[in-house]
Amino acid sequence: MTGVNRRDFIKTGAAGLAAATVASVAPPTSASQTTNYPAIDVAALDTLEPGAEVAFEYPDASAPSVLLRLREAVPGGVGPGKDIVAYSLLCTHKGCSVNFLSERQMLVCPCHWSSFDPAKKGRLIIGQASQSLPMIELEVRGGMVRAVGMDGLIYGRHTNIL
Amino acid sequence: MSNAPLPPPNAEVVETVCQFCIVGCGYRVYKWPVGKDGGPGPDQNAIGADLREQQGPEGDWISPNMHAVVKDKAGAFNVAIVPDKSCSVNSGLASVRGGGLAQTLYSPDRGTKARLGMPQLREGDGFADAEWDETVDLGARVIKAVIDRWGPDAVGMKFFDHGGGGGGFENNWAVGRFFFEGVGTRTASIHNRPAYNSEVHAAGDAGLAPLTNAYIDAQLADTILIVGANPYETQTNYFLNHMIPNLNGDSLDLKRSTFPGEPAAPGRMIIMDPRRTISVATAEAAAGKENVLHLQIEPGTDIAVMNAIARTVLERRWHDVAFIKERAEWQTFEAYQRSSLGSDRDAATVVTEAAALADILEADIYKAAEWIAKPKSGGVRRRTLFHYEKGLIWGVKNYENIASIVDLGLLTGNVGKPGTGISRLGGHQEAYVRPPYPGGRPALNVDEAARRGEAKVFWVGGCNPVLTTLRAEAVEANLIERGAPVSKAIAETVGKPIGERVAAIVEALKAGGMFILAQDLYMTATARHAHMVLPAAQWGEMNLTSINGERRLRLYPRFMDPPGEAEPDWAIMGKFARRLNQLYQDDNNPLMANKFLDFDWRGDEDVFIDARYSYKGDGNDPMEGYAGITYGLLRDLGNNGIQTPVRLVNRVPVGTVRLFEDGRFGTPSGKARFIPAPRPWPGYAAAVERQRKTYRFWINNGRVNHIWQTSYHHRHIDFYRERYPVPMLEMHPDDAEELGIAPGDVLQVSNDMGSVEAMAYPTDSVKRNHAFMLFGQPRGAAGDLVTDHVDPKTTIPYYKGAWADIRRKGAKPAEFEMASFLPRNVVE
Ligand code: SF4
Ligand code: FES
Repeated sequence: MTGVNRRDFIKTGAAGLAAATVASVAPPTSASQTTNYPAIDVAALDTLEPGAEVAFEYPDASAPSVLLRLREAVPGGVGPGKDIVAYSLLCTHKGCSVNFLSERQMLVCPCHWSSFDPAKKGRLIIGQASQSLPMIELEVRGGMVRAVGMDGLIYGRHTNIL
Repeated sequence: MSNAPLPPPNAEVVETVCQFCIVGCGYRVYKWPVGKDGGPGPDQNAIGADLREQQGPEGDWISPNMHAVVKDKAGAFNVAIVPDKSCSVNSGLASVRGGGLAQTLYSPDRGTKARLGMPQLREGDGFADAEWDETVDLGARVIKAVIDRWGPDAVGMKFFDHGGGGGGFENNWAVGRFFFEGVGTRTASIHNRPAYNSEVHAAGDAGLAPLTNAYIDAQLADTILIVGANPYETQTNYFLNHMIPNLNGDSLDLKRSTFPGEPAAPGRMIIMDPRRTISVATAEAAAGKENVLHLQIEPGTDIAVMNAIARTVLERRWHDVAFIKERAEWQTFEAYQRSSLGSDRDAATVVTEAAALADILEADIYKAAEWIAKPKSGGVRRRTLFHYEKGLIWGVKNYENIASIVDLGLLTGNVGKPGTGISRLGGHQEAYVRPPYPGGRPALNVDEAARRGEAKVFWVGGCNPVLTTLRAEAVEANLIERGAPVSKAIAETVGKPIGERVAAIVEALKAGGMFILAQDLYMTATARHAHMVLPAAQWGEMNLTSINGERRLRLYPRFMDPPGEAEPDWAIMGKFARRLNQLYQDDNNPLMANKFLDFDWRGDEDVFIDARYSYKGDGNDPMEGYAGITYGLLRDLGNNGIQTPVRLVNRVPVGTVRLFEDGRFGTPSGKARFIPAPRPWPGYAAAVERQRKTYRFWINNGRVNHIWQTSYHHRHIDFYRERYPVPMLEMHPDDAEELGIAPGDVLQVSNDMGSVEAMAYPTDSVKRNHAFMLFGQPRGAAGDLVTDHVDPKTTIPYYKGAWADIRRKGAKPAEFEMASFLPRNVVE
């Protein structure tokens, strides 16, 4: 569903937003309304060493997120190695902030220990969340890794764009 | 899914309890018509949250899996099922299972469309929809013919006896009345085992009930001992909301105010489990490694370790002399010391032997004894809470296993006081009310009766023995073989008068056939072998009542219609009973007709009250009596309900927070009994020992947190199925490497009982030569590997005691692509 949104978004020409600026989009009137995501630059591709971990906010300033460069190509990964992914950091159990254990390549919540696999689109490894960790859709354009959409609902929201 | 609709302020709200595990967390169900969503402002939605802003941690949130669209007789509705903050059990926490309750609801547009909506009658290799009347008529006539010709014991059954989804006092009562008062059969068995018996006879014989403590005791205990259980995954919110706050010190103030003047410290935890589970890892994260003791034992050695701990307690004179003198039968204490604790031998030797057997450190046995019983400063007794579950129950020798933990609890006086208890952790919820089982003890083994052809009818309700019983391949083969002649008789008499059809079926039964009925939500692996499949209603489609692991009784109201013509189990039993009553009347047999009288309940509450008048209202029920309780009262009490047993005091129903506070136990003398075992450790039974000697890997098996039981719901829901598309098998990475096995490879696990496939999950959670397999799954039943050995004293199997060889069958298939193979026991 969000894939379609992203294409719509690009088609409407709204992609020309300033880098790292969070777009303000008119709030939807209904929860089920199609959401338009902003596009923001997260990091320059050539700065992302293997193991890189970049904190950012998406789709707005109250949505802490993380971009990771993993050790191998993964589903949904971007970049030449298909190893760059990004996720909401808010645990889909009760909203604590998850940590990335780089050695283990897993995201773990300190509150009730839900853990998520960044190589499997944020699937729950074990724990008490009832949802995968929302995955941020990325694209690489002009040497920049950009966040352009989301798959999955961010904790504490009824729609990703407030 | 990137959004979840909000319930409008005028949405219908129902308080209910999770259908799944023993913990029984409170939830709120919101229901509203499609197209009538609420808005994000706090006065625009029923949860009263301001969703114009990001919610902070612990905020109000409806995750997409907490929401579903259902089709009712009245149209399409949104349903949101959200954890209840005001319920003392879970305080607003969901678990991975409870957070997906909405996804289990019937919808023609999702996976749950697989639900049965019409009775099914066998037709060739498959089934055809049938009307209730013709189905019940045929089934009742066959049952009558079997009773009349072979006697009541020829009617075999295996039925749920639990609370929660698909159970409850209502359904249990109706099933029990039908089979025990009506049919009068002894060929009965409970959903997960081959006989009709307690899983904890030894606790009962000691004068204890299975569930003695309140959940708050886990916040008050100095030490919690967990044997053969993995509560993070399988008693989740009891662990997270009550045990963890003790381990991390959050409950210190509560301890101080409850026990003024008593030394208080954050709790410690001892976990006896052959695996280093996530329960161990999270307990350590909360309490610090120095306050958690993991006894990673070898299979079946828990009795020896428990008795060695007890011997140490006794040796150091940390036992509760006053309790034993005043509250226990003295002679049994003496016998216990002599036999279970080997008191004629040197205590240090007993400890050395147990440590060697279990492959743990002697020092850890001494440490466990200290944590359990060494008095606190000022000589104050420690408060220790003893918990056990399937690792012990389904262990090497059921009766002595349970005796070993019960005895240790009694030795240290840890029952009937705040912060103590000797209890099962529990699997499913409870709601037992039935007329007495007419058979004796040890109970008859129904799997064997069916195999020998003594059961001419086999009625399976709300369970799936083909996936869960022991020696399951043979049980399934028997269903196929004995079912075939009956299927043929049915096929050959299509369109014939009912009398002829029944006569043909009886001929098939005479020739060794078996008439099989299944009653369930779905066409299960067992139901596929039935001749008649009866569609049952589930949680939320009927009113039901149950208790949780601290005996908290609540109402789980109906909030939607069952699919098609599915009916609550109690109503199905009523249909058959009324038909049998009529058939026996027509046959001029009033004696038999009367056994099937009074099954004409008008609704769920009628059944609930009928059960109360018959068995649960006289104030004597040791664990789950509910004198004076009505649905109206339960509705008023909401999700905190009332703890059973409920007794009438001045005509007011009064609950019981914890059992045995009056010091009177369930024995004729009112004193607790130690249950002596012949020796400190019984050893393995011959059939088990043979497997152990022949095959390399111990195949431990049990549940994981994502999947409830046989996955009957979860296999239809992507979120759960994708995690464990087939049963995973944990094995040590070094063993995997040695056998050329990579994560996700398809494994073949085989022994003399059978062969199953599994998905390789290398992890150092298990020791070398140990494995752990997800049990009871539609695409791989660990029960296929379990011997037919049962404890002769209790007819309880050693389900955890299978040994088999493992080989790599193939590489990871595309289907496992989204299953993670990262460690399931790492949290920091
Ligand atoms: S812990 Fe048990 S009762 Fe509570 S939500 Fe989870 S499955 Fe349901
Ligand atoms: S908030 Fe993350 S596991 Fe509970």
